[in-house]
Amino acid sequence: MITETLAKNRGDLENKMRNLLAKPVFIIEMDAFALPCGCKGTTINTRGLQYDDLEIFEDHIKKYLGETSNNLGIEPSFLFARLIPGTAEVASLNSRVLCNRCYMDFAKGNGKRPRPDIYIFNLTRRE
Amino acid sequence: MIKPKCLSKLKSTSKAMKLYVPHVGHLEGLEELLSGSDDIYGVYMAGTPDYVGTGRTNLSAPGLEEITEQNAYAHKMGVKMEIVLNSSCMGGQHLTPGGYNRVNWYFNQLNNIGIDSITVAEPYFIEMLSRDYDMEVVVSVLSFVDSPQKAEFYESLGADTIVVDPVVNRDFEKLEAIQDAVSCDLKLLVNEGCLYQCPLRYAHFNFFSHANGPGPKLNVLDDYYYYKCLSIRINDPQQLIKSPWIRPEDLKEYKHITDTFKIGGRTHFPNWILNNVRAYANESYEGNLMDLLDCPRDIRDLFYIPNKELEGSISQWKQCNKICNKCGYCKRLAERIISIYSTEDSENILKPLKSD
Repeated sequence: MITETLAKNRGDLENKMRNLLAKPVFIIEMDAFALPCGCKGTTINTRGLQYDDLEIFEDHIKKYLGETSNNLGIEPSFLFARLIPGTAEVASLNSRVLCNRCYMDFAKGNGKRPRPDIYIFNLTRRE
Repeated sequence: MIKPKCLSKLKSTSKAMKLYVPHVGHLEGLEELLSGSDDIYGVYMAGTPDYVGTGRTNLSAPGLEEITEQNAYAHKMGVKMEIVLNSSCMGGQHLTPGGYNRVNWYFNQLNNIGIDSITVAEPYFIEMLSRDYDMEVVVSVLSFVDSPQKAEFYESLGADTIVVDPVVNRDFEKLEAIQDAVSCDLKLLVNEGCLYQCPLRYAHFNFFSHANGPGPKLNVLDDYYYYKCLSIRINDPQQLIKSPWIRPEDLKEYKHITDTFKIGGRTHFPNWILNNVRAYANESYEGNLMDLLDCPRDIRDLFYIPNKELEGSISQWKQCNKICNKCGYCKRLAERIISIYSTEDSENILKPLKSD
């Protein structure tokens, strides 16, 4: 069942993050979603995770998020964090299979921060 | 005209402790609440945000007909009804002719319904209610009354009751001085889990007041203050201990200050509220203190604070000078007793906050 898979992966990712960061980072909710535009993926709402953690441990977090995404059957083609703009706080980690329109929005630039609230770990470019 | 001090329009009660309890705002919730306990002295809920908002989130915005119905039911059950309109920022609307008339009209309607008491944070409203209406005037915790001077000021505006800022819940010298300075009633909020000396406090309540007030409505991306509030605790769990909550077992330490206590938590299920009522009415709780706290709701599934292991801490807090970097009592206590919920093999287990 998808809920069991979500529950297991929520706990596993939380444990990995806590071991990595040595603080009780909290995954408050993990959701799978499908949007009307065609995007689908998972949103992993976090508390206690901060922007410095992303910068310092980017490789680790990217790897863990990719593994979680694969476990949920979501191709980890677009991995990103959503930030509270202008602050140290991370609102969520996300894996999203982009629809064509949203892909164009995100693929237009080359940087990690196409918007003040987005921090990209990975965006697989399309042909 | 200033009203006589301690003017009580409420019915007398034989109960030794007066517990004011949050109510989610619809009749079904009220029925569940009042049929679940005989220890409730009064209930409070928000009104409609069209006139005066509130400084906290609400699950409902009962209109006047609903308030009338619920007020009648509460009175039938022998329970007082309080409406909370404790916006900490009106954006000056009440100072305009149109704004004043709208607020005045709403107060008049509530008065005609027979509401027992009304809680406000705006000093203007305290004076206005005190002069023109029969309802008991309660100064909100969001007026931040934390000194004898401020208490005297609000009493002179016409306050019948002051809900003391929890920031002084563990400062007995200050509490006793406030009690000595005024003749009006005092009420203590027992389970607010806000950060001690929170730097976000004023900004957050002002934000809520606009978000839950007459408008214009804000298109907010995220509640920064809430994220930050939780993040501060997760990164420094001793803050959970330093929050100025009052354990059910410690109510006896406050009875020379007041016999009136308020439980916070308007957005919780009646079952959660009743669990709090039982704990505070019995002055005892076996279990996780986080179950009782209102504010850090999202992290009650993260931290476990065994309430009974806090026994005796009040003795330290009663003589604490609040210079935390020199003392370290709360930090050591947190490291000793707080556990973290963790998931292993799909089971929730507890791990110590600090591993040896």
